[in-house]
Order: sequence, then C-alpha cells, then structure tokens
Amino acid sequence: MQFGPSPFKRLKRHLLATPLDGLMTVLLLALLGWVATTTLHWLFVDADWQVVSQNLPLYAFGSYPPHQRWRPFLWIALLIGLTLLTLLGPRRGWIRKALPLVWIAMVPCGVVLLAGGLGLLPVPSHAWGGLTLTLLLTACSGALALPLGILLALGRQTRLAVIQRSCSIYIDVMRAVPLIAVLFFGQLLIPLFLPMHLEVNRVLRAVLAFALFAAAYIAEDVRGGLQAIPRTQREAAAVLGLSPKQMIQLVVLPQALRTALPALTNQAVGLLQNTSLMAILGLVELLGISRSLLANPDFIGRYLEVYVWLAGVYWLVCTAMALLARHLEHQLSPTRSATSKQ
Amino acid sequence: MKRSQHFCLQVGVALALLTILGVLINNLAVNLIRTDMGLSFLWLGRPAGFALAEHPLSYRPSDSYAWALCMGWLNSLKVILCGLVLATVIGVLAGAARSSRNLLLRALSSGYVALIRQIPLLLQLLFWYFVAFLSLSGTPLAPLGTLIRVSNQGIELLGLHLSVEFSALLVGLSVFTAASIAEIVRGGLNSVPRGQWEAFRSLGLPEGFGLRRVVLPQALPAILPGLTSQYLNLAKNSTLAIAVGYADVYAVSDTTITQTGRAIEGFLLLLISFLLLNLLITGGMEVLNRVVIRSQQ
Repeated sequence: MQFGPSPFKRLKRHLLATPLDGLMTVLLLALLGWVATTTLHWLFVDADWQVVSQNLPLYAFGSYPPHQRWRPFLWIALLIGLTLLTLLGPRRGWIRKALPLVWIAMVPCGVVLLAGGLGLLPVPSHAWGGLTLTLLLTACSGALALPLGILLALGRQTRLAVIQRSCSIYIDVMRAVPLIAVLFFGQLLIPLFLPMHLEVNRVLRAVLAFALFAAAYIAEDVRGGLQAIPRTQREAAAVLGLSPKQMIQLVVLPQALRTALPALTNQAVGLLQNTSLMAILGLVELLGISRSLLANPDFIGRYLEVYVWLAGVYWLVCTAMALLARHLEHQLSPTRSATSKQ
Repeated sequence: MKRSQHFCLQVGVALALLTILGVLINNLAVNLIRTDMGLSFLWLGRPAGFALAEHPLSYRPSDSYAWALCMGWLNSLKVILCGLVLATVIGVLAGAARSSRNLLLRALSSGYVALIRQIPLLLQLLFWYFVAFLSLSGTPLAPLGTLIRVSNQGIELLGLHLSVEFSALLVGLSVFTAASIAEIVRGGLNSVPRGQWEAFRSLGLPEGFGLRRVVLPQALPAILPGLTSQYLNLAKNSTLAIAVGYADVYAVSDTTITQTGRAIEGFLLLLISFLLLNLLITGGMEVLNRVVIRSQQ
C-alpha cells in the first residue's frame, strides 16, 4: 500500500494547482462567503416566517374540513412511516415481502381516506388541497401511467403492424405536446368526449390527463430497457419452451424494468414536480394554495418566504423519492441477489 | 403464433381501436350539437379584440385571431431560440466545471445541478419573475456599464430592451435546462478516455485549450442526442410563459379558446404549431450532427 500525499498537499493540488486556479479559488470562496452570510442573515433576521407558520395546516391539507383532517394526516403519516420502514430495510422476511403490496395499497387507501365512503364522511374533491393533493395526484397518475406505459412499450416492440403503428403514433404525438396543454385540454375536452350525464370531477380529470401524458414518457424509458436485453435471453426462453406470454412475464419485463429503473425514477420525480402545473389550472395543490395565500392582503409581498419554503418541501419529497428508488435499485441489482443466496 | 392468428389479432385490435374512437367521436358530436357549436375555423378571421404586451410585428386588437396566434408563435420562437443559446452556454460551462481540477468549482457545479433539478420549474419561474426581477428597484443595476442593465423594467442589452416577463422566462428556462445539459456534458466528457486528458496535459497545453480542442470534439457525438431532447424539453416548457404573463403561443391560444369556446380547433392548431417547432429543432440538430460527424472524418 502506498501512502498518499499529506492532506495539506492534497488540498493544495485540488485548490491551488496554478496561479489562475488559486485566484479562482479565492474569488469563489469570497463569493460563497458573501452568499452564505446574506442567505443566513435573511433566513434568521430579515424573513418574516408568519406566512408559513400560521398556515401550516393549509399547506398540508388545503381547505379540508378541520374536524376531518385526521384522514389526510393519517395518510401522510402512513406514507412517511412506510418510507422510513423501507429505507431501514427490515430484517424479517415476511415484512420485506409484504412491502411492495403495502406500497400499492397506499393508492386506493389514500383515495378512500380523502374521498370518504366505507363509513367515512364523504368530502367533495374541491375541498382537497395542499401537499395531500400533490401526493395524491402523483400516486394515482403514477399508478395508472406505469401499466399503460409498459403496454405501450411492448406494443411498440411487436411485429404486428397495426398495434405497433398505433402505439408509435400515440407516443410520438404525446411527447410532442407540452404538458400544460394536455392538462388544460384534459379539463376542457374529457367532458366533451364522454356521454352527456357522466360527471368527472376536476381532480379525476387531472389524474387522467397526467396518466395519459406520463405513459408516453414511461413507454420510451421501458423501451430503452427492452432494447438493452440481449437477444440470447429471448432465445434461451424460447429454447426452454416458454410461451410468448411467459417469456415476457418471466424473462423480458423483469430485466427491462430493472434496467429502466433509474429513468423511471426521474419520471416519478418529474411527475411530482409537474403536479405544480395544476396551480395554473385552478387546483389548490401545494403551489396553488400558496398562490391563494399570497393573494391574501395579510401576506402581500411575502413571495420569497413562501417560495423558499415550497422549494424546501418539494426538495424534501423529491429527495425521499430518489432515496427510495436508489434503495430499490440496490435491492434488485443482480450482483446483490447473487451474493445474498450464497 | 401462425400467420393467420397474427392477422386475426391485428384485425381484432384495429376493430377495437376503431370502436373506441367511434364512441368517443360520437359523444363529441352529440356534445357539440347539444351546445350548438359544430366544428369550424371561420372564427380565425374575426378580430381578436385583446391586446398583446409584446409583438415582434405590428399587431392591434382589431387584427384577426389568426394574426394574434402568429404573434404568439413568433414570441415562443423568440424565447426558445434565446433560451437554447443561453442554456447551452450555462450548461456547457457547468458541465465543464464538473470535470475541472479545482475542487471548489466541482462542488459548486454539482450543488447547482442537485438544487435546480429537485425544484419544480414553475416555482423557479415564479421566483425569477416575482422575486428576482419585480422586486428590483427602478434604477438599473449596471455591473458592466452600458453593456447590460437590469431593473424591474427588464433587461437592457446593448440598447436592446427585453421586457421583464421575457427576461424572467428566459433566465428561468435557461437555468433549469442548463442543469440537465450540464449532466449530459459531464457524461459526454467522461466518455472520452482518460488517456486523452493525460495526453494534452503532459503536452503542456493549457486546461481550457485542451478541453476545447482535444476533449470536447471527441465528446460531441455522445452529447448531441441528449442535447436534442433537452432542447425539445425547453421548447415544451416555454409554454409555462402563461404563469409570468408572457404572450407565447399557448397563452394566446388559451385566451382565444376562453373567448371563442373553440377548444377542439384551438387544440388542433396548438398541436400543429408544436409539431412544427419540434420538426424545426430536430431538423436543426440533425444538420449539426451531420456537420460534426463529417468534420471528424
């Protein structure tokens, strides 16, 4: 083993290799110092955090009826608990096996808790809001978009011309259109394409539009995963006598999804961030509720406080999602499962 | 599967798709008749009646809807083209900083990418508009003398006035897209074998020169496809202009549809204009790609 250079020398090599480098380091340090002191001064002295601290329930639940707020609270608490449990990685085999099912069950669970029914008081969808609505939009549209996207990707791969062509057209057209247009026209057009007396509420329309849009992007990511599978895998499956359906279920899809997982994570984080677009179309999710708060005369001009707070919340949720995905990636990596069997 | 089975399956799927389409179109027709709308594009010739804050060519509210939409399209094109340039510059600089020898520069660049990518673009745009630009004072900040002046009236660049809406949208879009471009550039630079870096350094070439003349040309083929998709994203994201009140093609379509109630026709026009924009960008990048490949042979 060789001893590396002393820490001081290493620091010198990294920061002060040439005079120009040294100058840059000094300038950057000065800039960083100035930014850090101004930011800290603003955060702890100048900023007036009342607009956040007085309205925490609004950010979390929107205008959900106060005596029913335990329901969205319970859902978010369950999500946080489940995230922590997954990240800590339980030792017990049966808990670990049940986790994926529990995660899937969180979607209908959230809908029932928020909407009511099954003995709970019904709460109309226009009362949903805040972080709860952001998470619900993400969860529901993600749950719809993933199977649809996989089907589209498989459809684009088949040799059956009709299916292949229609899937390609759908994917390419959807990917050419901006999301805000899809959402806006989803609100306007979905009622026009449905029978006269079928009412679809705004949240459901948004979920449908998000799912239709995201499916096209997921399809391309899954297609990337499908293309990464070596031909020999399919040949091996055929030699073993698997039917085409078994081949896709047991050999092709698991590998393709594992390869596509990092890209799919980005899609999921993107989906969560994109739910903020519904603020433009009048839903009071996290950004929407903030816009209505900023219109309140008590908090006029408190833009920076609200935006910094929102950025923090989004950053936290997105980071949690990325961590979960990395954990899943680690669990599914072939080298790990090979070693765990030994 | 046999050939005949394939054929039956395809006919079945085609029939199912047609049935679904038929039901949807039937519902649409029923609804359009019920609301007494029908499909028509004649309204495009009628006077729009709304003013546009920005229009590259002459436009008055008495001009037609079609002309208003054209102005929106030109406004979109303007912000997209400027955004492409600015985002590329920032992105390449940040990407190159990721492979710099200076530790501090590397950390700064990765911090920028990590921060920008975890915050929704819409929130960033609102920040640039309401906080960064509108809270400035009326007297312009002029760090570089008359070259560039920034105030709450927008940006004054070499005597060219950019409105505050345009400036906020341009900066927001560019900073957001540049974070993704930086990642692509970093990936491209990493794809160049380590030996190439060591070779130019051992020849005593300056770092910047070697990066520009030795590494970047070899990294370009790996960078260009990712760059194209980021450019397309920037074009699509430019429709968030409506949040800061910039009259791009989507914002004008939105007003038009609200006034006329012509949602289907408006959607079709918007779809066509975006297919056109996409074709422009992919076509341009295709040409660039061919130039790069030819220059390397």
